[in-house]
Amino acid sequence: MGSAIVITSGKGGVGKTTSTANIGTSLALLGKNVCLLDADIGLRNLDVVMGLENRIIFDIVDVASGACRLEQALIRDKRFDHLSFLPASQTKDKSALSTERMKVIVEELKQTYDFVLIDCPAGIEHGFHVAIAGADQAIVVTTPETAAVRDADRVIGLLEGERLSSPKLIINRIRAQMVRQGDMLDIDEIVQILGVDLLGVIPDDETVIRSNVKGEPVVLNADSRVAQAYRNVARRILGDSVALMLLEEPTGFWSRFKRRMSGKV
Amino acid sequence: MPVTVGSEIRPLPHPPVLVKGVKEGLLFILDDHCDFHALMEHLEDLLRGATAGLFDGATVNVFVDYGERSLVQTEIQQILSIFMSKGNFVLREWGRDTRAREGILASHRRSGQGDVTQTIFKGTVRAGQRLVFQGDVVIIGDVNPGGEVVASGDIYVFGRLRGIAHAGVRGDRHAVIAAVEFEPMQLRIADIVSRAPAVDGHPLHTTMEFAYLSDEGMAVDKIQYRVAIASGILPRDLI
Repeated sequence: MGSAIVITSGKGGVGKTTSTANIGTSLALLGKNVCLLDADIGLRNLDVVMGLENRIIFDIVDVASGACRLEQALIRDKRFDHLSFLPASQTKDKSALSTERMKVIVEELKQTYDFVLIDCPAGIEHGFHVAIAGADQAIVVTTPETAAVRDADRVIGLLEGERLSSPKLIINRIRAQMVRQGDMLDIDEIVQILGVDLLGVIPDDETVIRSNVKGEPVVLNADSRVAQAYRNVARRILGDSVALMLLEEPTGFWSRFKRRMSGKV
Repeated sequence: MPVTVGSEIRPLPHPPVLVKGVKEGLLFILDDHCDFHALMEHLEDLLRGATAGLFDGATVNVFVDYGERSLVQTEIQQILSIFMSKGNFVLREWGRDTRAREGILASHRRSGQGDVTQTIFKGTVRAGQRLVFQGDVVIIGDVNPGGEVVASGDIYVFGRLRGIAHAGVRGDRHAVIAAVEFEPMQLRIADIVSRAPAVDGHPLHTTMEFAYLSDEGMAVDKIQYRVAIASGILPRDLI
């Protein structure tokens, strides 16, 4: 019997889909059976980030309506042994899926997989309630901006009202330089406001955009600091205690030279 | 006195320990009917258990009222040792019918509320949540930005007040808003609304402050408010 984790944020564009893809891939690389579930019906993105959009035949709405069996809609990611993907529908909207049907689907997936990661849509309306319906745990993603933290706080309040009382926090797109100058909320301040456990801090890095365009999770890029951060998150989910990595980028001459040579500047 | 405790607000007619924010600090009213061990257990839990951290921080005056209970020497020592173990507690009064307790009764008589209620709410008031209380409310936890606490009496926050607080919502202009960390978005007392107080263009962020209505409008002062009493801004019967 596996565990279902919903990845949510309230605000859009903070990195829910990227986090879902990369945590899922990291868990699969660590040998776990993982299923990614895109609950953002009508605005699906997870397939694009995973580079699987051209393999979709059936989707979660087809499963819910009985048009196909669950196994028919699941897409196996050929790059990994243990990773599957259940896509959202692009043509329907959020009302096409009910909380009851969602619970049944997640429950069924939990029989086969160690982890079911649910990519939640932005907002706190019907789609949000459907996405969290089957989840056992929640991860809240925020960025170091006041608006994102405010929305995360609202979402944590809603999760607490829906029996998901101790969500974990991921702070995404941190820039060490801006935090140091006081232009960005720092980690301690965010954790203090939200009052939940910190699961990971992901630096802001352009390798993420490059990977998303290529349709391949950034954790596959061994040089990326973001990859390291997401792999640490996955290990923490499995119960390892991994220290937070230093956010400071090396700024010496040699590191700049090396970065330039590897084409990362 | 009906009292509500817990994150879900359920009435408890006799909580063993009642924490009450008074203007000078904290008043602990120990129930005088319950079993002594139950009282000690509750006190231990409150000051050494999960909520212990909420009472840490700046130095605070503490008043302990044990009511009609007759205590032997060892029991007194047991109770006092719990309070003494909190480094930031300064015990100001210990006994039955303490002045602090009298002060509370007096202030409620003044505001003419027949059935005075006090609510203790443990937990965080998060963005988008609006909690409404009858009578006074003690929030043991934070009020986050975007969160709102409304009470017909006083509001005391043992934590950070960073959201909106509306005291005396039914028109009680004597209501006050007090917080250990005072950084509100907006303050409202009765029908007066005030934006976050600013110092040199930055939002105010101080500790152990409280807001009240003076003749000129909303005023904010340190909780050590003896000066305000002496100068007649606050009525004497608040003590």
